[in-house]
Amino acid sequence: MTAANSHKTGFRFKKDYYGYLFIAPFIIAFLLFGLYPVYNTFRLSFTNTTLMGGSGSFVGLQNYQRLFDTPQFMKAVSNTWLLWILNFIPQIGIALLLSVWFTSVRLRIRAVGIWRTVYYLPNLLMPAAIAALFFSLFSFFGPVNQALVRSGLIAEPVQWLQNQTVARGLVIFIQWWMWFGATIILIMAGMTSISVSLYESAMIDGADEWKMFRWITIPLLKPILIYVFVTSLVGGMQMFDIPFLLTDGRGSPSGSILTNNMLMYLKFSSSQGHIGAASAVGVVVFIMTTVIALGIFYFLREKN
Amino acid sequence: MKQTHRSSLTLFRTLIYIFLFGLVIVTIIPIWLVLVNATRSTLEIQQGLSAMPSTHLFDNYGILEGRGLNLLRGFTNSLFVATFSTVLAVYFSLMTAYGIVVYNFRGKRFFTSFVILLVLIPLQLSIIGFYQFMSRIGLTDNYASLILPVIASAGAVFFGKQYFESVVVHDLIDAGRVDGAGEFGIFHRIMMPIAVPGAVTLGIFAFAAAWNNFFNAFILISSIEKYTLPMLVQLMRGDVYRTEYGAIYLGLAVTIVPIIIIYLIFSRYIVNGIAMGAVKE
Repeated sequence: MTAANSHKTGFRFKKDYYGYLFIAPFIIAFLLFGLYPVYNTFRLSFTNTTLMGGSGSFVGLQNYQRLFDTPQFMKAVSNTWLLWILNFIPQIGIALLLSVWFTSVRLRIRAVGIWRTVYYLPNLLMPAAIAALFFSLFSFFGPVNQALVRSGLIAEPVQWLQNQTVARGLVIFIQWWMWFGATIILIMAGMTSISVSLYESAMIDGADEWKMFRWITIPLLKPILIYVFVTSLVGGMQMFDIPFLLTDGRGSPSGSILTNNMLMYLKFSSSQGHIGAASAVGVVVFIMTTVIALGIFYFLREKN
Repeated sequence: MKQTHRSSLTLFRTLIYIFLFGLVIVTIIPIWLVLVNATRSTLEIQQGLSAMPSTHLFDNYGILEGRGLNLLRGFTNSLFVATFSTVLAVYFSLMTAYGIVVYNFRGKRFFTSFVILLVLIPLQLSIIGFYQFMSRIGLTDNYASLILPVIASAGAVFFGKQYFESVVVHDLIDAGRVDGAGEFGIFHRIMMPIAVPGAVTLGIFAFAAAWNNFFNAFILISSIEKYTLPMLVQLMRGDVYRTEYGAIYLGLAVTIVPIIIIYLIFSRYIVNGIAMGAVKE
C-alpha cells in the first residue's frame, strides 16, 4: 500500500487507468471460469438436467428435498467434518509444539531449516499417488500383511481396508502427513515475527515459559492461526483424492470415508449422469463452507 | 543446582532430537517405499519390506506397457498441462499483482480485498456448473479447460502482491517512463527480470498444483490418450494390475520423482514462499 500511495509524481495520475488493463485478464478469466460456473451450478441445482438429456426443466427445490431425505448426504457431510477435524487437531498440535521448540532461544535446536524442509516434502506430492500407495500397502496381498504374517505378529492376513476405523484412520493419517510440515512453516513464520522484547520484559516480570506461550505467543499468533484454520477447513470440505482412491471410490467400508465431493461425483457419474442432483450437493456444501469460513475470518479478525 | 538444571536441559534436547528424527522416518518411509519398490519385482516385494533397491525397474515398466498403460504418454500429457498452466499462472498473476501495487485506480481497494476473499471460497464445488459450461462450448476432453482457469489464481495474485510490495522501485518505473517505455514495456522489460525469484516460487507451486490435479482432470478429460498421470494412477488401482505390485510402484514413482527433484533444487524458495503467502498481511 504505502509505496504506491505516497509516491505521487506527475506521471502517476495520468497513467493510473493502466491498472484496469493489468487486472483485466484476471477479471475476465474469473468471470468465465470462476463466477459463471458458480452461477451455473446454482441454476442447474433447480433443474432435472442429465448428462444425456441436455437441458432439463425447472423442478424447484426437488433436488434439495431428495438430498436431505437421503441419509447418504448427511453421512457424507458428517464424514467430511470428522475426517477434517481429526486430522486438523494433531496437525496444528504438532506444528505448535515443533514451532515452539524450533524458535526457543533456550533449546537452540540445530538444523531447523533441514528438519522443516524434510517435513514439508509430502505436501507437494500427488495425493492420488499417495492414496494409491496406501491402498496397495494395506491390500490383502500387500506388503503390510506379508510383513506382519512373516514376522509372526498376526497369524492370517487381514482385510485392513474393510475395517471402518482403519480406513478412516488412514485417510486422517495421510492428510496429517501431507499437511503438518506446511503448518509448521506458517506458524514459525508467525512466531519469528513476534518481537523478542515482549518475551524479555515478560521474563523480567517472572513469567515462565508456559505463561509466555499462553499470554504472548498465542494471542499474537491469532491471525496466522485463523488463516491456517480457515484455509485448512476450506480444503478439508473439498477432500476427494485420498478417500476416493484409498478404497472403492464409494467410501467403503459402508460409506465410512464417503465425503462431500465424492457424493457429488457419484451423482455426476451415475448411469443417468444426474447433474442437477450433483449440483445440489455442490451448492449446499459451497454455502456451508463459505458461510463458516467467512464468518470465522471476519468475526475473529475484527477484534485485532 | 545449576549443574542439574543444565543436564536436564541436555536430556530434554536429546529427547527432542529423537522425536524429530522419528518424524523424519515417518515422513520419508512412504516415499522411500515407492522409490525402492519401483525397482523390485512383485515376488521380492511380497517377500518383505526392504530398504535396498533391486534390479527390476525395466521389467516393471514392461509389465505396465504390456497391460496397455502408456506411462510415457501420461507423463508427456501431464508435463504439457503443467507447463502451460505454470506459464499462464505466473505471467497473469504477476501482471494482476503489478497492476494492484503500482497503479491507483478506482476500485483498487475493493478488488484487492476481493482477491483475498477468493482464497477462502471453495470454488472446486462449482465443478458441475463448470463441466456443463465447458461441455456447451465444446471444451470438455480438451486441455484448455484444465489450463485456462489458472489465469485467475487468487492465491498466486496475493503472493505476487506481497512480493511486488517488497521489490517494486518506483524510481525505476519513472526512469522507464522518461525513456519513453510504455507501461506494459516497463512491466515486461524492467519489472519481470527483477521479479524472477518470486516468479520461480510461484511457478513451483503452480506446477505442483497442475501436476497433481486429479479431480478436475478426472471430470473433464475422457479419452484415454489424453489421460494425465493422476488419472493413470487411478487406472492402476484396477483389477488388471491388482497383484503387479512392482509395476504399480513404478507408476507411482514416476508421478512423484519429478516433484522431488524440483523440491531438492528449489526447497529454499518454497519454504520461504509459503511463509510469505500468509504472514505479511
